[in-house]
Amino acid sequence: MTTTVGADDLDDLTLGAVFLATGGGGDPYLPLLMARKTLETHGPVTLVAADSLADDALVVPVGGVGSPTVSLELLPSIDEAAQALDAFEQFSGRKIDAVASFEVGGGNSLIPLMAAAVKGLPAIDGDGMGRAFPEAQMMSYAIAGVKPTPAVALDYAGNRAIFETSDTATYEYHIRAFAAAAGGMITVAEHAMAGTQLKAGVIPGTLSFARELGGVLRHHRGPIDQLMPALKACFETSIYGDCRLLFSGKVVSKSTRISGGYDVGECLIEDFADARRHLTVTIKNEYLTACIGEQVLATVPDLIVIVDVETGVPINAERLAFGQRVAVLGIGAPAFYRSPEALAVTSPRCFGIDLDYQPL
Amino acid sequence: MESETMSGLRIGVDVGGTNTDAVLMRGSEVIAATKQATTADVASGIRAALGALPLTHHQDEIRLLTIGTTQFTNAIVERRHLAPVAALRLVAPAGRGLTPRIDWPEDLSRVTDGGGAVFGGGHLYDGRVLSPLDWPAMTAFVENSLAAGVQNFAISAAFSPVFEGIEQQVADLILQRNPEAGITCSHELGGLGLVERENAAILNAALLPLAKQVTEAFADAAASLDLGCPVFISQNDGTLMSLGRARRFPALTFASGPTNSIRGAAHLTGLEDALVVDIGGTTSDIGVLHQGFPRLANHVVMLGGVRTNFRMPDINAIGIGGGSVVSDDGSEIGPASVGHQLLQRALVAGGDTLTATDIAVAAGQSIFGDPALVSELPRALVDRVQSNISERLSRAVEAMKPGAQRLPVVLVGGGAVLVTADKMAGGDVLRPLHAGVANAIGASIAEVSGEAQAFLTDASQTRESLLADLEQQATAQAITAGGDPSTVRVLEREQSAIPYMEQGNLKLRVKVVASLALLTGADA
Repeated sequence: MTTTVGADDLDDLTLGAVFLATGGGGDPYLPLLMARKTLETHGPVTLVAADSLADDALVVPVGGVGSPTVSLELLPSIDEAAQALDAFEQFSGRKIDAVASFEVGGGNSLIPLMAAAVKGLPAIDGDGMGRAFPEAQMMSYAIAGVKPTPAVALDYAGNRAIFETSDTATYEYHIRAFAAAAGGMITVAEHAMAGTQLKAGVIPGTLSFARELGGVLRHHRGPIDQLMPALKACFETSIYGDCRLLFSGKVVSKSTRISGGYDVGECLIEDFADARRHLTVTIKNEYLTACIGEQVLATVPDLIVIVDVETGVPINAERLAFGQRVAVLGIGAPAFYRSPEALAVTSPRCFGIDLDYQPL
Repeated sequence: MESETMSGLRIGVDVGGTNTDAVLMRGSEVIAATKQATTADVASGIRAALGALPLTHHQDEIRLLTIGTTQFTNAIVERRHLAPVAALRLVAPAGRGLTPRIDWPEDLSRVTDGGGAVFGGGHLYDGRVLSPLDWPAMTAFVENSLAAGVQNFAISAAFSPVFEGIEQQVADLILQRNPEAGITCSHELGGLGLVERENAAILNAALLPLAKQVTEAFADAAASLDLGCPVFISQNDGTLMSLGRARRFPALTFASGPTNSIRGAAHLTGLEDALVVDIGGTTSDIGVLHQGFPRLANHVVMLGGVRTNFRMPDINAIGIGGGSVVSDDGSEIGPASVGHQLLQRALVAGGDTLTATDIAVAAGQSIFGDPALVSELPRALVDRVQSNISERLSRAVEAMKPGAQRLPVVLVGGGAVLVTADKMAGGDVLRPLHAGVANAIGASIAEVSGEAQAFLTDASQTRESLLADLEQQATAQAITAGGDPSTVRVLEREQSAIPYMEQGNLKLRVKVVASLALLTGADA
């Protein structure tokens, strides 16, 4: 199935992507401004289903790697993503047939659309996470066996680096070192793959679904009780599992610290109805587990989403703050992430949390 | 000596959209208070309010005049009295495609448009130079702007809140060409977030000519009443700035009104932690008093349709006030309001519109207008509206409550009589004396502040030693602003991190406040 994404679709798509990003992905404000401008200049982007690609098509995911906080100062550029793909084509000597996304969430859902618009290429309707995760080996492309390299990274000044590493862990280490050296935020084309690999590794339909979800959130914006039926209906026909209201209450504490380069910590939410009942949400850039004491309500890779209880607007982990009145939702992960291979790299234990995955 | 110097008199003034309030204070005691109509030129309203205070023969005893004003906020909101600004941004080659004033409302962009350009310069997060400065290009831009009659400039460089020298170098370049130019450097207005900080700098620069006019009018008003004391202006964080500083940073007065009412409520009740409800004519503004100061919003603040990162009080405004229009069956209250026409349109004033004030008068809560004109209102209607108002306010207060603990709820503002409940959101309701002029009182008791922030990037420095350095810098700033060194206290120590980057990339921020030396006597 083929659809297009134009400038007018971007608000909904971004809202839906921020929801699916489960607290991660950063503030999409600047990428959204740039994406709107790009699509207004170059016209809508065609979204293609992975299944419709030729088996030998060359698909290249592109996105930002580094600190979203840095890009509040070291501003992103409108042509960066297209330049990263140009560099990839130059170094690999091959023409790219379609552009793909690392993740749904923040800027990384919009960067591939900008690159596709400028280069006149289709973008894959799908991504490599179905949400946001903090590390490259958690990407469905990597789980399906796609190698991260050859990869091309580009910094704000147009400096370029090519990576060819022995394994994903080494790649992750090197690319983060380059990001730090290059000012804290870079644009990267990596995990290049053939059409056959994409079909095995993509989480399908997530961009068009993010747009649909964003439309539901916009149309039914309001108290969570009114929003839930529409949300449930929206997820029922998706690749995701059930969408459930897990908890609603007020954020009474949030503590995060930097550990190993990630924003790690937890947040405590007090039940509106019972001040002695607290939900603990653990955070590593994204929301990972939701528990009341020993009782586990949801764990990664299922999606834990925190929204404003009055409006249903999703709240990023860095924006989550003391005193906010929130609803916590749980959504079943796509089937891909419930496989043993995916759980081996995305279960709570992979984040240092002493819990097994407990499906919603 | 504190006991002696606190006997010095001081005046607080609050210039609102409808009323100009003034209070004469001795220590914590309110000696006199007045409400006068705000005038179109503002200054004559201030003169009228000051004139209504019993100042004769006491002019020499007045130690301080502080003024809180909404003029600059209103200028932005109404797009009036704004000057064109040339915006220089130093971040190239990054940020290609993001030009100054991006995503601004068209009308505000147009009235402030004095050109904009992006140049090399600025820093990376670790202090390395992002790209070299392009002096010839910048010089040409500045000269062209001046030749086109643009007198006001906003300068914003990447990571300038941490590495600020570069913006000053560019300011010097402009001043060499025109010593009279109005210049705003973004690092003086906000923290990380280049686009939001630049927006704030442009808004501030657009207000500079108005700021000159307004601060001169304030000085004249004080002089015309033979007040020889210093005049200070309230800032949005609840502290004061001199007229000289207000002339350079008018944008720092945005939202000083709600801040002053929260601070005034603190003063009137002696509380350090409370919820404050300021009930005006059209809205009720609910804020949180935390350790004697308003809790600040920790996210992006929209001002006149523009994203900024001003540190503003976290306010939940709902459409209930003394002028709120009440439907005939009492089921709907506000957000429509008769506003400043209350004296003509309310039933008690002989008008034909049922307002929240009419309900309060009918219930015997308020003495205003002619109570006979509302004596026919059914008791059931009055009760329903009163409980409806209390319930809605209580819900809004609950939403602002920082945690599970019970906090007292302080009602201030002219509409405080609308609320009959003695408990809201679990806390006791307080109605202090002089609640109607709480924001003028808040203006009169403000302190001065100093603030410093830096990244912890140098491996040889510990978090503690950097915090100590920052505290020293902030303290020096507060003393320069007129603070008494013996009263300096740390208000905030904030730590934030850059996610994804290695351990140690922490941003630390310290804010201190101090009492004014001229009130504590330390300047004598």
